[in-house]
Amino acid sequence: MANTQSVSNSFKVELMNGIHALGATVARVGTTKDDFKAALFLASATLDEDTTAYSVTGEASGTNYVAGGVAVTNAGAPALDGSTAHWTPSADFSWINVTLSNAFDAVQIYNSTQSNKSVAVYTFGSQTVTGGNFTLTMPASAGTTGLLRLA
Amino acid sequence: MLVQTIKGLIERSELTAVDEIQENDNDRAIVTTWLYKGELVRQDAHVSILRGLPMDGEQANI
Repeated sequence: MANTQSVSNSFKVELMNGIHALGATVARVGTTKDDFKAALFLASATLDEDTTAYSVTGEASGTNYVAGGVAVTNAGAPALDGSTAHWTPSADFSWINVTLSNAFDAVQIYNSTQSNKSVAVYTFGSQTVTGGNFTLTMPASAGTTGLLRLA
Repeated sequence: MLVQTIKGLIERSELTAVDEIQENDNDRAIVTTWLYKGELVRQDAHVSILRGLPMDGEQANI
């Protein structure tokens, strides 16, 4: 029998659940999960890994699009698949009957409970929508495909 | 059946729907363009994200 150097798989999931605070953290009023939102951004915007929070700058706009985006449905807790912790929203993101004339190619997920802090930015092929629906379908919730993964 | 467009509700039979499939690195999109007498009156887009992001990776590397 030998010891194996490793990061605990449980720790990865617990990080996603906000259990550990290796630095200064925020005061929480309870044990409920945070609320997250998804906002669309123009192809001309400059969101990247240095984006720290949601900002209306560069956000898509148009008929029936509400600044700040849509609520992320989060019915599934982070899970472990092998040694990879992962999380994926439990519903697709939808914008109904919108007109977005300026090309957009990114969605930002951010934490609306924690001062709109940014979680991630995902890009896709540039799109416009005219009086129709825009849907972002989530990937399979698994260790190799989940929207957020920590291996 | 009526379809909502930027010109209001139009009978489905009077509309021409054209689907375009776009294949990108990490997404697959189906864009449906609705034409009424040759004029674009509605466009829908459905984008499937194929894979999320690893926390230790960069978006450019997916």
